[in-house]
Amino acid sequence: MIQTVDLTKSFNGTKAVDSLNLKVEEGDIYGFLGPNGAGKTTTIMMILGLIPPTQGKIYLLGQELKPNQVEPKRRIGVVAESQYFYKEMTAREYLQFFSELYQVANAEKKINTLMEAVGLEKDQNKTLGAYSKGMQQKLAFVRALLHDPELLILDEPVANLDPTSIKQIRDLIEEQNRLGKTIFVSSHLLSEVERLCHKVGIIHQGKLLAEDTMDNIKRKLSDSIHLEIELDREAAGLESWLQGLDFVQNFSINQNQLTVNLKTDRDYRSDLSRAIYEKGWLILAMQAKEMSLEEAFLTITQHNISLLTQGEAGNHEAK
Amino acid sequence: MAKKQSVIKILLKRDLSSALYSWGYYLVLFASLLVSSFILKNFIEGINEEDILVSAYPLNYPLYITIIIVSIYLVIVSAISITREKEQGTLEVLFYGPVTSSSFLLSKYFKDLTLGVISLAFIALYFYLVSAITNLGFTVGLVKALIMGIFLISCVVSFGLFISTITGKIRSSILTLIALIGVFLAIQVAHGTLLGFEQESLSVPMLYLRQTISYLFYGVNWVSPFAFLSRGFDAVALGSWPLYLSNIGYCLIYSFIFVALSIYTMNKRGVKA
Repeated sequence: MIQTVDLTKSFNGTKAVDSLNLKVEEGDIYGFLGPNGAGKTTTIMMILGLIPPTQGKIYLLGQELKPNQVEPKRRIGVVAESQYFYKEMTAREYLQFFSELYQVANAEKKINTLMEAVGLEKDQNKTLGAYSKGMQQKLAFVRALLHDPELLILDEPVANLDPTSIKQIRDLIEEQNRLGKTIFVSSHLLSEVERLCHKVGIIHQGKLLAEDTMDNIKRKLSDSIHLEIELDREAAGLESWLQGLDFVQNFSINQNQLTVNLKTDRDYRSDLSRAIYEKGWLILAMQAKEMSLEEAFLTITQHNISLLTQGEAGNHEAK
Repeated sequence: MAKKQSVIKILLKRDLSSALYSWGYYLVLFASLLVSSFILKNFIEGINEEDILVSAYPLNYPLYITIIIVSIYLVIVSAISITREKEQGTLEVLFYGPVTSSSFLLSKYFKDLTLGVISLAFIALYFYLVSAITNLGFTVGLVKALIMGIFLISCVVSFGLFISTITGKIRSSILTLIALIGVFLAIQVAHGTLLGFEQESLSVPMLYLRQTISYLFYGVNWVSPFAFLSRGFDAVALGSWPLYLSNIGYCLIYSFIFVALSIYTMNKRGVKA
């Protein structure tokens, strides 16, 4: 749906985005993460054709994006970080204007449905100058969804919203994804990204440092998987046997509580539970203590760790 | 192509209705007609005092002044039209969708041109009423000047749009416009002044300066939209059809070049302020 190949943008010789190779697959909810000034918004601006790249290519919905190419843009919906409206218009007039631009069929019905979904149906005849930031954000969502786009590009979509509105928007995003839409979310609200996204890309100082599913990123960052296991009886007899398992890095036993660190080259949880059962113990509970996305993000960006293997970037086929 | 035309039409409709609801437009139109009335009053008083009609086209000079005032308004409106949308961020939102630099600029060009044509319609009605009241002739020359006005406004608007694409903020658009018009006027004044001197009375450096200013003046005559305005009215006053038609042709070429340059600049610079 979106692919960038060696995408670079320089401002006065300084690279804001440096040889970026992103790949967003159909049906993904892709989280694009990075600290302030990492190059997220510049990347989005280039993907939308709003600023020309210094170098590199962008493929949008399978087509290489060229200047003034509007057909792929008719199939995407965008909610930006800041909302800009014609303040003299009412919300309804504004949406009618965009419906005409995108040639939306049954526009009035769609406007009613979407305004209801975001809870703005009673405010549709207010002028946009009177809209609060939260209302503006929701209206931007309605505008982005009016033409039933295949791809939604969201830059900080819940930045100005209260908790109730965040939930409304999150539900809307998830519903759109269930309907088959691909969603590209740029955000610094890691908890939201963690709840929503299947896959994340982490950008820092213009370079993509990681692009994978969240589980894989966390696994790549930790050198072991930490498991806390509750057994049906005291685990003292397991010690010598656990020492012999090559996928166990280390362990500790406290009565029926077993704490094990496993290697990360693959998921060994089923191997371990099967082996414990065969030894005559029953597992009552098993909990993997995972690194949070926030911890992963901080580890990657503060230590500038690249999780991309050489050649991984740039070898994608255009999608 | 049909989709592009439709986008231009939709943008034009929104923009035009917004402009027609603004009081500034009517204020300027009213002010231009007020100035014109003042000139006409003086002219009619002059006729009464001298008891002689001295002008073949008595309404053309007030019309010229009216069109200049409307043109100044339109050049400012078009010079800030893109920077305003850039500054407000509304331009960016349009470009998320099916709007391109060319469709956006053409919609702005046609919007400002339509505003100009509507102004000319009001002006024509005003001069028709003046003609009926004062018995000053509503001549063919006046009709020709009004038609020429459409093409002159086209030059003014395309020049303003170009200023708007090369600048990023409303303030810089206005300052650039003032600076350019100032330079054009300074060259015209310097040219006129230096021509007033006898060649023999000028030192060698001054002769070089006069020559340089002459070249610049020649350039300004093709770059300044207001130069087309005075040339167009001269063509009407002289009653020369070839001159009149060639000036319309030049206006069209000028407008085309500046709109094309604006599209090129906007493509290069992007839509961010």
